[in-house]
Amino acid sequence: MSIIGALVVASFTAPEKIGANPQSMLWLLPLVAAIAVVYKATKLPEIKTGNFLKEVVILFGSIVVFMIIAGLVLCVLSWLITE
Amino acid sequence: MTPRSKENHVLFLLIVGLLAWLVPGGGHFLLKEKKRSIIIFVTIVLTFTTGLYIGSIGVINPGVAKPWYIAQIMNSPMVDLLRRLTAAGDYPVYGRPNEIGQIYTSIAGLLNLLCIVNAVYLAHLLRIESDGGSKCR
Repeated sequence: MSIIGALVVASFTAPEKIGANPQSMLWLLPLVAAIAVVYKATKLPEIKTGNFLKEVVILFGSIVVFMIIAGLVLCVLSWLITE
Repeated sequence: MTPRSKENHVLFLLIVGLLAWLVPGGGHFLLKEKKRSIIIFVTIVLTFTTGLYIGSIGVINPGVAKPWYIAQIMNSPMVDLLRRLTAAGDYPVYGRPNEIGQIYTSIAGLLNLLCIVNAVYLAHLLRIESDGGSKCR
């Protein structure tokens, strides 16, 4: 196995260092993008680049905005309960 | 639909479903939906690989996280090969990398399950359409 090949395999045998901090929540963004792409790939009757990208961006934005709203509501609820 | 053609239809649906499970996007490729199959393949493989990169292959561990493994195996039966590698517990992973890795690999599996169901449904619809067309002629 070449050195590059060994390095690639090695990068999958040890976890990355990710702290339990607010920034780690940003890892949800690529996942939301993947969900939006696959969902729209199964739902659109015809795949045309422009229309497909538009639909994916709309779904991606909707999911992110909804999650932000859900997070804010939970934040307010926890503040009301604990105050 | 004659009993013979009905049997063939069920067999075709099974083949589409199995191919879609074996290779993400394979079912759509068989139905000549090439754009769809390429998008599905690239996205699911990339999501699964990102999960493995973040959490290492140790995130595939049915001994500790059986429900996650059920979702992960939906990616492809090849995930079982990774399970065999990690069965001895040589790749421990804890904390946030474990959580994110498990979520990525499991969501990739569930997305592939959606694609399997969609491919089988499309195959069924194509058959119904072709039957309707032949009856009209």
